[in-house]
Amino acid sequence: MQAFLDIFDIYLLEAVINGILLGGVLALLALGLNLIFGVIDVTWICYAELVMIGMYAMYFLVQYYGISYFLAAPLTILLVALLGAALHYLVIAPLLTAPPINQLLATGGVLFVLQSFATVAFGIDFRNLGIRLPVLAFGDMNFSYARLLSFLAALVGMVAVYLFMTRTFTGTAIRAISQDRQIMALMGVDTKRIYLITSAIGGGLAGLAACLLVLQYDVHPFVGLSFGPITFLICVLGGLGNFIGGFIAAFVFAEIISLGGLFSDLEWGYVLAFAFFIVMMFVRPAGLLARRR
Amino acid sequence: MRVRMAARLVRGLLVAISATGLALSVQAQDQGKEKKIKIGVVFDLTGPLAGGGSELGYIGAKIVLDHFAKTGVEGYKIEAVYADAQSKPDIAINESVRLLEQEKVDMVLGFFSSAQCVPVAARVEQLKKFMWMTTCISSAVFNEKGYKYVFRPQASGDQFGMMTMDFIAQNAKAKFDKEPKDLRVAIIHEDGAYGVDVSRGNEAGAKKAGFNVVMKEGYSATAPDLSALVTKLKRAKPDVIFHTGYNPDITLLLRQAREQGLKFGALMGHGAGYGVYEKLKEGMGTDATYIFNTDPISIWLANQKTMDPKLPPVIKMVGEEFDKIRPGVAIRSAHVGIGASNTYVFMNDVLPRAIKKYGGVDPDALRKAALDTDIPEGGTMLGFGVKFYGEGTPMAGQNERSFPVVIQYIDDKSSVVWPKSQAQREAVLPLPKGTTYSNQ
Repeated sequence: MQAFLDIFDIYLLEAVINGILLGGVLALLALGLNLIFGVIDVTWICYAELVMIGMYAMYFLVQYYGISYFLAAPLTILLVALLGAALHYLVIAPLLTAPPINQLLATGGVLFVLQSFATVAFGIDFRNLGIRLPVLAFGDMNFSYARLLSFLAALVGMVAVYLFMTRTFTGTAIRAISQDRQIMALMGVDTKRIYLITSAIGGGLAGLAACLLVLQYDVHPFVGLSFGPITFLICVLGGLGNFIGGFIAAFVFAEIISLGGLFSDLEWGYVLAFAFFIVMMFVRPAGLLARRR
Repeated sequence: MRVRMAARLVRGLLVAISATGLALSVQAQDQGKEKKIKIGVVFDLTGPLAGGGSELGYIGAKIVLDHFAKTGVEGYKIEAVYADAQSKPDIAINESVRLLEQEKVDMVLGFFSSAQCVPVAARVEQLKKFMWMTTCISSAVFNEKGYKYVFRPQASGDQFGMMTMDFIAQNAKAKFDKEPKDLRVAIIHEDGAYGVDVSRGNEAGAKKAGFNVVMKEGYSATAPDLSALVTKLKRAKPDVIFHTGYNPDITLLLRQAREQGLKFGALMGHGAGYGVYEKLKEGMGTDATYIFNTDPISIWLANQKTMDPKLPPVIKMVGEEFDKIRPGVAIRSAHVGIGASNTYVFMNDVLPRAIKKYGGVDPDALRKAALDTDIPEGGTMLGFGVKFYGEGTPMAGQNERSFPVVIQYIDDKSSVVWPKSQAQREAVLPLPKGTTYSNQ
């Protein structure tokens, strides 16, 4: 009985809930990337670097210009949305008909450009927003409000994207284009405009993630390296372009990391998560929610 | 006959003139060939390690190199060629080899990360070139390697780990009112060469002191989440946490520790990210107060009364130059002093001896000069002396006279609290009641 209680204690529950909250962070990151891939069929390797730029924007708006967090957040979302649209217009659009590897390499190039730009423009210092949110305590368990906010934002973002895609004309057009690029143009839909809108929404979601991540992490030019690969894996695990799949994959991944890290070394949590990913690529190569054929 | 004699005379004159001209030209060439030592300097100027302390080490080394570039050393001009290791071991190796083989530098100097020092040292030794490490600390660089051309005046990682354990062991009864066997300690570290090495020193020190090690674990410095580690620490309930990390993993750990309500009696840091107080303060606010750090003493805190009288003016110069580069810094990081002092030892002691006694700056002359180094305690800006373990010993190339000290950050000031001989104030231990992490 004691051995059972040693394992199934309050800390196990805390780890489970922390896993869910980490899942919220990862789901939020995966949302925009999935949207872009689902519609435009291009993977933005540099997605986490857009988040990094957004984090810098938040830092400077709040710390340097003294703007309140709540005013800085929509400005940042708008800025990164514009950046997303610019990325599409300048880099992706000319390569839409190019082989996928060219598109990947181009966005990979943008990744290095953004990292170098941040290094030159902002320096290599780690910067901290300096906002310390209170902590939610339940007995011996404590949870971060910053993580709770991310979790809620991921849920709201997911629902908002779903409603936008299903209840608006533009959303319907986006979905239609994702199903057949060529035919929609023949039916009079301005595909260029739809791509631009989708990229701006994807960028805006990266901006939203930046507003919430900046409460939890220091900003530096290489912060994207901590999230970029894992976000990409989650999107692939959920099925690239599948919002719900990506959402679920984020939580599965986060729970494996959290519980694996609790029962073994922290590193093993990540090893288990990546091993799970590899196995799933064999079992369900099209993603967790893919239909079997 | 006369014509023949005249022709012979002219020929002789021409030969004499051309011989004299040739001799003069050779002499002029010798005089014109400037004596110079080219030093390749490798630090991380971009990537996560740059802000974690590497750039500060680079600034310290550069201040000293610039200083000697103005005066030269024993008639030799000093030319430094800088390279950015980009926080990546493979880049550090490639840049070192490029400097040595393409830029034709006479030696390489610097290196912040232990993960870079270990492979770069092996490569430089293979090339039979001279390497002077200013900052990285991993014992694995030297352990049983038998290198001939690699030297490090800096203390080694296991010394860092042993020093903090010794500090807590000597204070366990008085400050925690616990026998060592009842003191619960946790050892956590980033899983690179640096963290692993320091944690080994921690482990050996804990064993020697008889502490109850309730947890020992490594993690990746780039991990995006450390909440599971914090949960395990909460479960283990340590009195003292011994942590070795870079940044931003330190601030991530401590932020998540605050959010998850982790409590403890003391936090012992071991250089790198813990040596950059400005960043700790920025990330943690007042919670950075009472944190301990182990590093070579900051040159601005070292006891100047027991120091070689030639050194205080150099310390002043380094401070003034640093303030010009980074004005308004509350506590000048120990990393600046480490880079400056260890570069100064080479420029002021080893290099002149290589030139005067061994006739130049080739790797063998530099190696012999380094092996002759015999600086007593108080002979460097960092307070310790320098004498390298000789060839044939397990740690050949490592300074046997270096030692770190334990400092504590209190009210935006850092003070040496251990060893007793260097202590500037009494340590505040355990964390006072009412502070964020206090377990009292």
